Amino acid sequence: MAKRPPNDAPEAEVDMTPMIDIVFQLIAFFMVITNFEQTQADERVKLPRDALAKPPEVKVEHSLVLNVGFYRDMQGEKTDAQPWLFNFVDGEPVLPLSAGAQLKKEAVLFKNKEIQLEDVTVKVRADSEVQTGIVQELIKLCQDAGFETFAMSAMSGPEE
Amino acid sequence: MARRRKESKGEKLETNMSAMIDIVFQLLIFFMLTLKIVEPEGDFNINMPAQGQPTSSDEIPPFPDIKVKLKANPDGTLSGLFFGSRNLGVGPGAFEQLNIEILKVIGRPGDPITKDMAVEIDADYNLHFSNVINAVGACTGRVDKRSGNIVKYIEKIKFKPPTSPTAAG
Repeated sequence: MAKRPPNDAPEAEVDMTPMIDIVFQLIAFFMVITNFEQTQADERVKLPRDALAKPPEVKVEHSLVLNVGFYRDMQGEKTDAQPWLFNFVDGEPVLPLSAGAQLKKEAVLFKNKEIQLEDVTVKVRADSEVQTGIVQELIKLCQDAGFETFAMSAMSGPEE
Repeated sequence: MARRRKESKGEKLETNMSAMIDIVFQLLIFFMLTLKIVEPEGDFNINMPAQGQPTSSDEIPPFPDIKVKLKANPDGTLSGLFFGSRNLGVGPGAFEQLNIEILKVIGRPGDPITKDMAVEIDADYNLHFSNVINAVGACTGRVDKRSGNIVKYIEKIKFKPPTSPTAAG
């Protein structure tokens, strides 16, 4: 730092108060709207849309999320006609109809945590273009594993 | 206070704000980058009883299930929406018509008898899943245009077990 020559001119002061006000407002806003909840939703799944799909008022306590979707390119077009079960086994996609063994393992995990399977909701997040039969067969596999309650996810809002 | 200010000729006490501003900007950038805008999702609860469950004669439902059939084209798009044996057509109009037909069956929304009613959806194996969701939505109720609330029709939705594509031909 070089020594400043003596200066008689008044020192310019910037009033920081409005900026700090705004910055705190912004921080408060981002803190409130940020959702740190770890969701098991997969972005590759393009959910169907229905006006009646409103977010549940009471949060489901125990849930198992099944993401059934396709590999899509940047434009959202399918790159593979085969649907996959994403984010299920160690993050690796598996074929929906070969998930039976893993679903049974999940059921055992819930039982080990002393959670009754009837209290677990299996949330099926299926892509709008997945074959209905595959979704039904997947639900059948869940039933074989002992799960009883199911919910199908859709985006809220009017159909496109 | 004013008098004191006038009298005092001491130095103005200045707080060093730069450290706080640094931290505050760090926090602001962190929250901005971690922000993920997620569209709200809703759920439809469905009742899919496991096949082969023993059914006693006491459990005969008071109303027969309302049958809704969804037929698919080979590419998975909807080729026909059937309410009972009546074809309601395709497209959004068909689902609106299904909604009207369900209302005709239940008479008045919210009637306690609707708790004993159930809709059985029979969809072709290769049908795109969005059509099933739309059918479930049409049977479950409608959104009241004035209040924006959901008027519930029938909440029990069942699915007919899938017929494998090879068996269906």
